[in-house]
Amino acid sequence: MNILNQSLAQMLDFAAPILFAALGGVITENGGVVNIALDGIMRFAAFFGVWGASVSKSPWVGLLWGIGIGILVGAFHAYITVKWAGNQIVSGVAINVVAVGIITYFLELIFKTTGYSPTVPYFGSAVNRISIPFISNIPILGAFSNLTIFVWLSLFLVFGLNFLLYRTVLGLRIRSVGENPIAAETLGINVFKVKWFSTIAGAVLAALGGMALSIGSLSSFTNSMPAGKGFIALAAMIFGRWTPFGAMWASFLFASAQVLQFILQATAKGIASKIPVGFYLSLPYFLTIGALIGVVGKAVGPAADGVPYKKEG
Amino acid sequence: MEALAVKNIVKKFPNVLANDNVSLSIEKGEIFAIVGENGAGKSTLMKIVYGLYTPNSGEIFVFGNKEDIKNSHDAIKLKIGMVHQEFMLIPRFTVTENIVLGDEPKKGVVFDYKRAVLEVKELSEKFGLKINPTEKVENLSVGIQQRVEILKILRRGAEILILDEPTAVLTPQETEELFKTLNALKQNGKTIIFISHKLGEVMEIADRVAVMRRGKVQGVVNKPDTSEKELAKMMVGRDVVLEVPQVKVEKGKVVFSVSGLTVKNTRGIIGLKNVSFEVYSGEIVGIAGVEGNGQAELVNAILGFLKPINGKIYMGMEEMKFITPYNMRTRGMSYITEDRKRRGLVLPFKARENVIMGQHSLYPFSNKGILNNQAIDEFVTKKLEEFDVRPPNGYIKAESFSGGNQQKIILAREMSMKHSFLLASQPTRGLDVGATEFVYKILVEEKKKSKGVLLISLELSEIMGLSDRILVLYGGEIVGEVMPSETTEEEIGLMMLGLKRKERVEQ
Ligand SMILES: Nc1ncnc2c1ncn2[C@@H]1O[C@H](COP(=O)(O)OP(=O)(O)O)[C@@H](O)[C@H]1O
Ligand SMILES: [Mg+2]
Repeated sequence: MNILNQSLAQMLDFAAPILFAALGGVITENGGVVNIALDGIMRFAAFFGVWGASVSKSPWVGLLWGIGIGILVGAFHAYITVKWAGNQIVSGVAINVVAVGIITYFLELIFKTTGYSPTVPYFGSAVNRISIPFISNIPILGAFSNLTIFVWLSLFLVFGLNFLLYRTVLGLRIRSVGENPIAAETLGINVFKVKWFSTIAGAVLAALGGMALSIGSLSSFTNSMPAGKGFIALAAMIFGRWTPFGAMWASFLFASAQVLQFILQATAKGIASKIPVGFYLSLPYFLTIGALIGVVGKAVGPAADGVPYKKEG
Repeated sequence: MEALAVKNIVKKFPNVLANDNVSLSIEKGEIFAIVGENGAGKSTLMKIVYGLYTPNSGEIFVFGNKEDIKNSHDAIKLKIGMVHQEFMLIPRFTVTENIVLGDEPKKGVVFDYKRAVLEVKELSEKFGLKINPTEKVENLSVGIQQRVEILKILRRGAEILILDEPTAVLTPQETEELFKTLNALKQNGKTIIFISHKLGEVMEIADRVAVMRRGKVQGVVNKPDTSEKELAKMMVGRDVVLEVPQVKVEKGKVVFSVSGLTVKNTRGIIGLKNVSFEVYSGEIVGIAGVEGNGQAELVNAILGFLKPINGKIYMGMEEMKFITPYNMRTRGMSYITEDRKRRGLVLPFKARENVIMGQHSLYPFSNKGILNNQAIDEFVTKKLEEFDVRPPNGYIKAESFSGGNQQKIILAREMSMKHSFLLASQPTRGLDVGATEFVYKILVEEKKKSKGVLLISLELSEIMGLSDRILVLYGGEIVGEVMPSETTEEEIGLMMLGLKRKERVEQ
C-alpha cells in the first residue's frame, strides 16, 4: 500500500465517527430538534459497545448494546424536547454532562480501572476487517481494500440518509416538520411521531459514531472518548448545510486535518520539531472553528430547527 | 341542506373568553361570511372547527352528523379545508410538495414526485387556478401563494372551505381574482366560509353574514337585507364614523425635512430618487402611492436601516449625520410601524415591557440600572387605560393581544416618548374599524399638539381624509404635491400610476 492510499484509508477511518454523528445531527435537526447531545450519546455508546463485547466476547453483541443505549438516550431527549416541548439545549447539555460523569463511574465500577477498559473483541481486528486484496495496489481505490465494517457503513449511510430525506414520503414529512410544524399538522401529519422518530434515529446514528471510536477501530474504551468529536460532528453538520453529502464532505475535511496533523508531526524538522505536540493535536479543532466562522450567517438550517412544538389550545 | 353547524361553542383562553356560546348554521353551497373586529373570536371558532383547538364545550355537526373533531386529520376526513390567516406553507418546498404533503402519491416508500406534479397540474387546470407546480413557494407573490393554499385543500376533496381573512394581504386586483375563484367554487357546489373585517368585500361576495363581537354572535343577516353601515354598527356596538373631523392648526416651523434623498434598496436598486420635502409642526403630510414605489426605502432611510447614497435628513434645523433609530429618537422622532410583530413589539415580552421600552433606562423607570417595578406598573396601568388596550393588563405577553390592541400598545409607547415628529408608516394596516378610528383620533391629536406627522399609507381615503398636504410617490420619485381640498381621488390615482405629474405648489 502506498502512502496516498494509506493516508486516504486513515482519513476514512478518522472520518467515520464524525460522519455517523453528523448524519445523526442531520436527521434529528431536519425534524426540527436541535441535538447538541451528539457528543454525550457517542460517549455512552462507545462505552456500552465495549461493555457488551466484553460480556459476550462478541463485537456484534457490543454493537447491539451500543445501539440500545443510543435508543434510550435518544428517547430521553425526545421525551424532554418533543413530549414536553422542553428546551433542546438544556436537554442536550444535560445528556453531555451526565455522560461524562456516569461513564467515568461505570468504567471504574465495571472494569475496575481508570482511564482504559481492558481490551475486547473488536471490528478492527484482522479477521473482522473487510479485505479486498486485489485492489490494494490501485491508487485511490486501494484505500478501500482493508477497511472496517464501520467505515463502510458510514459511507453507505450517507447514500441511505440522502435517499430517505429527499426521495421518500417519510423524508418529505420529516423535512416539513423541521420547516413548519404547524403547516404539517394542518395537513394531518402527526408532528410528534415524526419528531420522535427523527430524534431517536439520529441518536442511533450518533451511537454508531461512538462505537466507531471504541469497538470500531480500537479494542478498548478510553475515558477521554469521544474527545469532542460530537461537537466536531455538529460543526460538520452545519458546515454541510444539514445535508448528508454536505456532512460527508465536511467530515472528510476535518478528518484530513487530523491525518495532516500526524504527517506534520512525523515529518517536522529543525525548529518545527520543537513545536509542542499539543499544537498539532489542536489543528483539527482550529480548522473546525475556522470553517464555522466561514459559513456562519450563510448556512441556513431548517426554518423551525430548535423551536419547541406545542399543540395550541 | 345544512353543511356545517356549531352549537353552543365555548372556548376560554387564560386571559379571554374567545368564544362565548357560539351557535351558527351554514347551508351547503352558500358563501357565508363571518365579520367582526380583531379579537372577536373568528379565527378561534374556525380553528375549533378545523380541529386545531379543543373547545371547552359545544358541539359540531358536519352534513347533519355530530362529529368529534380532535385534529386536522379528522377535519380533512370530513371534507373540511381551511386557508389560514397566516399561510401554512413551507417556503423552501415546491408548489407540488406543499400541495401533496400529508397525502403523497407514492411507489412503496418512495415519494412519486413526477406523478405528484402531474396531479397538481390537472387540479390547477380543473379549477382554473394557474400555478407553476415546480416553482419554489418562496419565489411566489402572496396572491399566488394563496392559490397554492386553496389548491391544497381542494386536493383533499374539501367540500367546506374556510378562508380566514384571505384578502388581508391581497392587492385589489388579486382580491378580484379570488372572488372569481370563490364564485366558481360556489357554482361547483362547495360551501365557503369567508372571514373578513372588510365590510365592502363582504357585501360584494357573501350570501349571508354573521357578525361576531367579543366572542359572541351578534346576529346573522341576509346580504340583501343589510348594509355596510348596519354591519359596522353590529360589529363595533355603536355607530361608526370613519370620517375625520377636519381640524385646522396653525403651521409652525419645520420639524423634519429631507433634501435630495436618493436611496438604494437591499436589492441594490435605486428605490428613492432625489426626494425633498419638509414637515411643519401642526401638519400631517400624507405620502400616497402604490406599495413598492419607494415607501419602504424612505422609512428605512429615515430610521438609518438603509444608508442614502445621496441627500440629507434634518430633524428641525439640525442635519442628521449619523442616522440611527437612537439618534433620531433622541432628536424627537416617534415611529409607528405597519409591521407590528417584527418592528413594533417584542412579542414574547409583556405589554408593560413593550410600553416602557426605549425609556426603560430613564428615571423613574430605572435607577442606577435597577428597574423600578412600582413606577413602571403605575405608568403602564395609566397608559393602557388611556389607550384603551383590551384587556388592560400589563402582565400579558404582547403576542397574546389582537392586532388592534397590539397597535394600541405601540401607540401608548410612542406617544409617551418626548417627540416633535411622528413617522407613521401605514399605521392602520390590517386593523379593524374600531382600531382604525382610534389611530385616526391619535393622529389628529398629534396635529393639535403641534407635532409634525408624516403619514405613509396605501389607503387613499385615509390620506385624503387626514392630510393637510399630499405627496405622491411613484417609481421612487415625488410626482405630485397637492392639497386635499384642491384635488380628487381620481387625480391622485392617476399620479400614483405615473400617468400624471403635478408640480409643487409654492407656499
Ligand atoms: N392561542 C391563544 N392563546 C391565548 N389567547 C388567544 C389565542 N388565540 C387567540 N387568543 C385570544 O382570543 C381572542 C380571539 O382571537 P381570534 O379568534 O384570533 O380573533 P379574530 O380572528 O376574530 O381576530 C383574542 O383576544 C386573542 O388574543
Ligand atoms: Mg383572526
